Amino acid sequence: MGDSLSEVTDDEVLAAFPDVRLDHDNKHFYKGLLQQRYLINRCAECGWSHAPPRARCPQCWSSAVEPTPVEGEGTVELVTFLHQGPPSPGVDYSEPYPLVCVAFDTVPGVRVSGTVVGAAREDIAIGLRVRHRWVQRDGRPYPVFEPINGERA
Amino acid sequence: MSYVPSRNPMKDQVAIVGVGVAPYSRENTLRSMGALAIDACIRAAQDAGVSRQDIDGISAQSVTAQYLQPALGIPELSWWFNSWLPFSNQLDAAIRAVATGGCEVCLVSHSQLFGPGRSRAAASDPFRVRHSVGTADVRAFLGAGHVQAEPHSVFGAAGYAAWAGKYLHDFGARREHFGYVAINARSQAARNDNAVMRKPLTMDEYLTGRMIREPLCMYDMDIPTDGADAFIVTTAERARDMAQPAVLVHAVSSGQAGTSSEEHTLDFDHTSQVVTARNLWARSDLTLSDLDVYCLYDGFTIITLNWLENMGFCGRGEAGPFLEANWDTEESRVRFRGHARLNPHGGNLSEGHTDGAGHTREAVLQLQGRAGARQIPDAAGALVAIGGLFSTKLGAFVLRRPD
Repeated sequence: MGDSLSEVTDDEVLAAFPDVRLDHDNKHFYKGLLQQRYLINRCAECGWSHAPPRARCPQCWSSAVEPTPVEGEGTVELVTFLHQGPPSPGVDYSEPYPLVCVAFDTVPGVRVSGTVVGAAREDIAIGLRVRHRWVQRDGRPYPVFEPINGERA
Repeated sequence: MSYVPSRNPMKDQVAIVGVGVAPYSRENTLRSMGALAIDACIRAAQDAGVSRQDIDGISAQSVTAQYLQPALGIPELSWWFNSWLPFSNQLDAAIRAVATGGCEVCLVSHSQLFGPGRSRAAASDPFRVRHSVGTADVRAFLGAGHVQAEPHSVFGAAGYAAWAGKYLHDFGARREHFGYVAINARSQAARNDNAVMRKPLTMDEYLTGRMIREPLCMYDMDIPTDGADAFIVTTAERARDMAQPAVLVHAVSSGQAGTSSEEHTLDFDHTSQVVTARNLWARSDLTLSDLDVYCLYDGFTIITLNWLENMGFCGRGEAGPFLEANWDTEESRVRFRGHARLNPHGGNLSEGHTDGAGHTREAVLQLQGRAGARQIPDAAGALVAIGGLFSTKLGAFVLRRPD
């Protein structure tokens, strides 16, 4: 893990996200975004995953936490549709903008937020099975979700 | 958790006496947050009949104790504290400070200035825009960035909408159930000269109201306002010599769940409200049915439904049918056991965004018999529950009249 992360330097992540309050705990997450990898802190000693990134494992207090790529599929657990909201690249509120929280199968207890693409509005509901992919908006990577056809939890 | 904290050595030892308000307004008040806070503090002191020399403690928030003390000419403080939104932690702290001898007469201050993004009137005030310069964003404190802000995450208001959706999903609830909270607030506000939204609301109007963050519409969200509240907190003994009747603090609870963010709250059985309510009743000799005034936070309607369930009015997921069963159709408001009321002042939804200071003020005025057109006859006990569902401060208080 450490090898591939070091491909993005501190200077590069600081330059890429000038308006984000980066620190030594969350910089790995943002380096991951630049590489289109969704990194969640996992404890090398007890296996517990946590988000947002903190310096020690909240379960066993070990400092052996490692930013670890999340792979695979998950389930939608929270849903809202925004009929208005702050301006953001690529977000058009002329149609209600879906915003969901997803729990990945491989990272129990951690939910991540994002929008859903490639789904009919009536299908975007609690229980929808999804996988994550990336979109670029104004040159910035955003994690989004798309449905796994035909699957519900 | 097996251990429930039930010790309550400060039971009935501390009193709230004076209240002061800088009236809440939706208009651009053209005033600073500090000016609003000062107005409310002076009125609270005058209400209680204490001088600036009598005050020896300040419990404040963004307008700090360090701002207020010299501004009010208070010669010395023996205790002070600055908290964060919403209102509750600074009241909890002040009560404990008085109970343990940190100070004798404590001024508790809360003020509110709505941001330039929340209305045209606010955006037109260049000083209000300047006010937010250099103020750290809440998310910045959490170390979050562009993928964590609305519309990309369920932070803040979007989180309440997402969990409102889960509430409908988990319990088969209907939007009408949120509507009862909003309609009750309007009907109550009609009796409150200090309320900013006093026009009655019908269920049809609620159900067809402009959708903002589905399933929450414009009537499910509180009203941004400018304003301030202040309170005088002192010992029960000292309160007897003051200008207004004492309201005794019977029990206090400020609980927080293990994971309380919008994303990581486990479910409705594991919110900070659950912890706060359980510990409050463990410390209280009075129970729900001993009380007449119920002031339950309503920044979003979904919050109030949860407080009703967590405080024990009804079971999980049953708050909607419970309100329906206690609905006074003629008056379009909730009535419990014939006389008891929910948010008689109109709450955040209709009095305005007081962050819970309004809920506290209303409970005090009701127990002092000073609530005017909305006075609940012979009100002797009140429940105040402040805060939402997530990583904000939550606090709950049982207040009572002296015997």
